[in-house]
Amino acid sequence: MHNSVDDLQQALSQHDYIAERGLSVAIYLALKTGKPLFLEGDAGVGKTEIAKVLAAMLDAQLIRLQCYEGLDINTAVYEWNYAGQILHLRLIEREGLSRQDMESELFSPRFLLKRPLLQAIEQSHNGAAPVLLIDELDRSDEEFEAFLLELLSDFQITIPELGTLKAAQPPVVIVTSNRTREIHDALKRRCLYFWIDYPQFQKELEIVERKAPDVAPMLARQITAFIQDMRSLELFKRPGIAETLDWTAALIALDQSELSLEAVQDTLGVILKYQDDVEMLDATTIQNMIERARVEAQRAS
Amino acid sequence: MSQNPSANGPIQSLFLGPAEAPVDYRGGKLVHNLILFGRVCRALGMGVTPNRMMEVARALAHIQLGRKQDFYFALRAHLVTRRRDIAYFDEAFDLFWRRPADGFTTLNLQSLGEERRKRQTQFLPPLDATPSENGADADSIDSSMIALVPTYSQQERLRNKDFADMSADELELAKRAIAKMPDSLGMRRTRRFENGQGRQINLRRLVKDMIRKQGDVARLPTHRHKEKPRPVVLLCDISGSMERYTRVLLHFMHTLAGSLYQVESFVYSTDITRITRQIRQKNVDDALADIGATVLQWGGGTMTGECMHRFNWRWSRRVLGRGAVVLLITDGWDRGDIPLLHKEMARLKLACRRLIWLNPLLDVPEYEPLTRGAQALLPYVHDFLPITNLANLDAIVAALQNLDARPSAEPYRRAYL
Repeated sequence: MHNSVDDLQQALSQHDYIAERGLSVAIYLALKTGKPLFLEGDAGVGKTEIAKVLAAMLDAQLIRLQCYEGLDINTAVYEWNYAGQILHLRLIEREGLSRQDMESELFSPRFLLKRPLLQAIEQSHNGAAPVLLIDELDRSDEEFEAFLLELLSDFQITIPELGTLKAAQPPVVIVTSNRTREIHDALKRRCLYFWIDYPQFQKELEIVERKAPDVAPMLARQITAFIQDMRSLELFKRPGIAETLDWTAALIALDQSELSLEAVQDTLGVILKYQDDVEMLDATTIQNMIERARVEAQRAS
Repeated sequence: MSQNPSANGPIQSLFLGPAEAPVDYRGGKLVHNLILFGRVCRALGMGVTPNRMMEVARALAHIQLGRKQDFYFALRAHLVTRRRDIAYFDEAFDLFWRRPADGFTTLNLQSLGEERRKRQTQFLPPLDATPSENGADADSIDSSMIALVPTYSQQERLRNKDFADMSADELELAKRAIAKMPDSLGMRRTRRFENGQGRQINLRRLVKDMIRKQGDVARLPTHRHKEKPRPVVLLCDISGSMERYTRVLLHFMHTLAGSLYQVESFVYSTDITRITRQIRQKNVDDALADIGATVLQWGGGTMTGECMHRFNWRWSRRVLGRGAVVLLITDGWDRGDIPLLHKEMARLKLACRRLIWLNPLLDVPEYEPLTRGAQALLPYVHDFLPITNLANLDAIVAALQNLDARPSAEPYRRAYL
């Protein structure tokens, strides 16, 4: 276990996650106090990645629940295998069992389908507590949010037919949101909150170099400077770190050693996903941005 | 301060003695100061509870108190739950946890409390109050604190619209209109199920029925998709040309915000302002007074294109999910960028389920939608309906209740485009 924020930051870095100090403090406290960590930020800033890295770092299983509207207990917690139950009922109905016996036969763990949240609670009984990632909570609806509120406060789930299951030790919970709607304060108050911003130049460069080791140093600096510059434009969707890394991979695949107008135009679709944004960047704008990126990259080296 | 606290000095030396001394915050002033700081955050609108402060105190045991940055982030992770509070928190943190000239804190919270009792919405003295010369004086209030409190400035107050005098007749009309409002502007199917006649077999129910009947059941139980009202977004023009309708329209918006499910309200002229929170207050006069204090662009020219751009960029992704219905209330007079307006309206139309233009002029007999703005709006709206006062809501209500009907703007498009 990590004994200080510095330790943790180093461990994250060993798993190729470059975290800013504030995020490290938040993660550290989440681990120490057992509170869920609520991460908000634009798409592609590495919210989901944290859960993956934490799981690898803690050598725990990662259980992921992708949220969507209408996500209910049947898909998030548990479901009975109805087809199996009906078949089994056909087999045993001649045995003349009492109704109670029949019920306990059919609603037994054998026919229980475990969904992510139940898995997380069950896993915690097998030694290490898992990392539970509740991804894009803003996409779920209020009903699910209310349910989660209950779950996050005491980590227990009641299945009417089987009874109450309680986590042996609370899982490490990471909740992420893209803020397409405001999550209710009651839920956020149960968590530690952190807003992940786009990284500064140095940090992003470090991430690029770490994640794409075979990138030419000059290209890495130019890419980072270009993307940083791009984020200052008024775009509908600003590129995240995910886009930076995808773009780096694309430019490496195209054997580029420096940014050029042609290469940028050819690969713009990797960074910008809205036609309005692509239209905003005409040849002169791109050329100017490349010039600025070159100067910036030169200065950084 | 954005990411890093401006000063990285060890705070122990301020509150707990030298940095080398063992940290025993229980006996020191830290808890005391924490609680005071919690109150400051609470006064700034963050949901800080005593329980939360206990958690903060416990969490601090895990970090090195000597590192101010870690201390800052530990507090922030606990006390801030919304991005917009971060700036307030930062400023409060900077002011509160700095090296005081004398004593443990420069803020006398007791006196803040006094101020708060005297005036309802503020906990700080009015702007014209002058802080005493000595900033470290225990009774004074730091003048720089005033800037960070979300409150009304004098200048804004001068621009307030007076909504107070609403006649008895108008109030009566408003009441009648409320009674007539539909519960929703159309429903949408969700992925959830509810019991009832439907096409899907309810397997859970079936298994239970089979057990109860010891085998065969006569009828397969079914369930159906649950329906929910669509969210509604109100965009109301409050520019000069709309001035005579503004008051009554705000009443209309207040009615909708109070009776429909998930209503987001915005007003615009030269800029767009979200008034969802303000308009949700039960008492219409309070709501309007609050809006008058928040919105700054009353009676300006209309820059619809620019405002829609801002709406699309900043808000559409947050309020137009889930098949929202947009009510755009404007007379179609526009002084802004028309090509931009075309572009933004096209985008707005794509992002919502139904785009309805309510025009107060449409009832005027000779009115024709021929202004530049109207010509730019017409191609993109699904429905084009009149709205003049709260009394003639019947037509609107009828139209809004049947949103899947043919777009009512079609005849206008054929006639005027």
